[in-house]
Amino acid sequence: MSTPDPLPAIRATGLTKSFRLPDGSTVTAVDAVDLTVAPGEIVAFLGPNGAGKTTTVDMLLGLTTPTGGTVEVYGEAPGRAVAAGRVSAVMQTGGLLPDFTVLETVQAIAVLHGRRDRVDEVVERAGLAPLARRLVKACSGGEQQRLKFALALVPDPDLIVLDEPTTGMDVSARQAFWEAMRADAATGRTIVFATHYLVEADEFAARTVLMKDGRIVEDGPTADVRAAFGGRTVSFRPPADVVHRDGVDPEWLARVGQALAPLGVTDVDVSSASLEAAFLALTATDATDVPPPPPTHLDPTALAGAPR
Amino acid sequence: MTATTLSPSRTTGRAPGRSPAAIAGYAALDLRRQARDRVQMFFVVGLPAFMFVVFGLGSDEPAGSANVAMYVMVSMAAYGAVTATTGVAGSAAIERTNGWGRQLALTPLRPLSFLAMKTGLAMVVAAVPVTLIYAIGAATGASGTTSDWVLSATIVWAGSALFAVYGLAVCLAFRSDNSVGIASGLIVIMAFLGNVFTPMSGLILDIGRFTPLYGYAALARYPLTDGWTPTGTHDPLWLPVANVLAWTMIFAAVALWGLRRGQERV
Repeated sequence: MSTPDPLPAIRATGLTKSFRLPDGSTVTAVDAVDLTVAPGEIVAFLGPNGAGKTTTVDMLLGLTTPTGGTVEVYGEAPGRAVAAGRVSAVMQTGGLLPDFTVLETVQAIAVLHGRRDRVDEVVERAGLAPLARRLVKACSGGEQQRLKFALALVPDPDLIVLDEPTTGMDVSARQAFWEAMRADAATGRTIVFATHYLVEADEFAARTVLMKDGRIVEDGPTADVRAAFGGRTVSFRPPADVVHRDGVDPEWLARVGQALAPLGVTDVDVSSASLEAAFLALTATDATDVPPPPPTHLDPTALAGAPR
Repeated sequence: MTATTLSPSRTTGRAPGRSPAAIAGYAALDLRRQARDRVQMFFVVGLPAFMFVVFGLGSDEPAGSANVAMYVMVSMAAYGAVTATTGVAGSAAIERTNGWGRQLALTPLRPLSFLAMKTGLAMVVAAVPVTLIYAIGAATGASGTTSDWVLSATIVWAGSALFAVYGLAVCLAFRSDNSVGIASGLIVIMAFLGNVFTPMSGLILDIGRFTPLYGYAALARYPLTDGWTPTGTHDPLWLPVANVLAWTMIFAAVALWGLRRGQERV
């Protein structure tokens, strides 16, 4: 296929899903969502827990039938696109069989897709080669998450949907994961991911869709969505002689406040380096002198070198 | 950049995961996984074989057209076969509800093909204890007419399918990780009540006639015994047949109810 694909990767119109609760009342998890994603886009679904992200993802994958509206993936019903291997996903609620090995799990999914030829490549891409013979139940949460990522790559999909893909990964594994995804996106794959980490949307997605209570409240370039939150932060480094162990000299801070007041600045706030940055700085190791990590420990080298 | 840079070999038409080869490939991996489960294999193969050796080996007293060794052999093979089908079908239900089903839902494999594949797998695993225990029996003096051997083996093997439905029913009803254990544990109790392990008599036998394993085991032994029990009572052929039919319907109804309940919850 050499002609450009004119169909949008995702087209949802008035997409709605409501559930009936045992007490007879209904809850609308997804409420009249309109969404079009073009091929090659990287879109973040951002929102708090219960915003309807997972339900939307389930409908994109044909795992849940909408109660209203329509959704098409590359112009087809989601179920057909899934069966054809055009769309796949890392699901938050997807499970693995604990007594398969990592390799067998990939083989099992690959044989069903008729893509046994992809097993080696996918294992390599997800950085699972050293764990291939390990039983799934002996893998850490982050390793299992990478295995699910490998399974999603098996059909070589045009669209990959990731629902909270970095759950269970430590900070560096999370960064390495997004590194791998960035390399993947460069090949032109459409990527839609749900997250509640603002940073992940900020760093990775060109476009952010903000969901709240089942509705899309904001949809646009990530920078614009960030601006829509209102706040901008100006930061500067105080002179060394006013910074003590227990914080910045309060007298000096008061003088800063007074100096800024005529400019209309109201809340002067002191923050330190983020914990995440501190954690990374303290745990970063030179990849060459790290012994093979044990199965259930923090794994700072996870995925490093995987994306190629 | 557009999606056109992606793999040129998009599958069209019939999805590969719906081909018999793909399903067989998956079944082979699954069979290897189950065979590695030593606990399951102990209860399916080891325990019934052991019990045959303890209770049946060398018992040459007549039992209908066969001897007691063969009578015990048929009973223990039946116990092994139903433990196999219960376990395989029950764990299939748990797999579907525990998230692996969602993983499979992202492949071309359809739910009905999954069900058919797991049924086939259960019957393959059930054939293991039947073959092994019949082989031990044949080598150690179980004797009967040729039709005794052929008919009883066929009924033991084919009839164990009923307990695949039973395993599905229990696991879809309870939906917890230990429901396979519950289903297999109940099999032991039902095996006692069903006259499979030791000959029952009196009130227990009267009650036992209505339990699920009684009809199946009695049918499997019918070629040998013509319906006579070790304690001298007689069952007409319609009784075990009615028992099997009734329980098939009950288990199927519970399994369907459990399936619907699961779909509603989503």
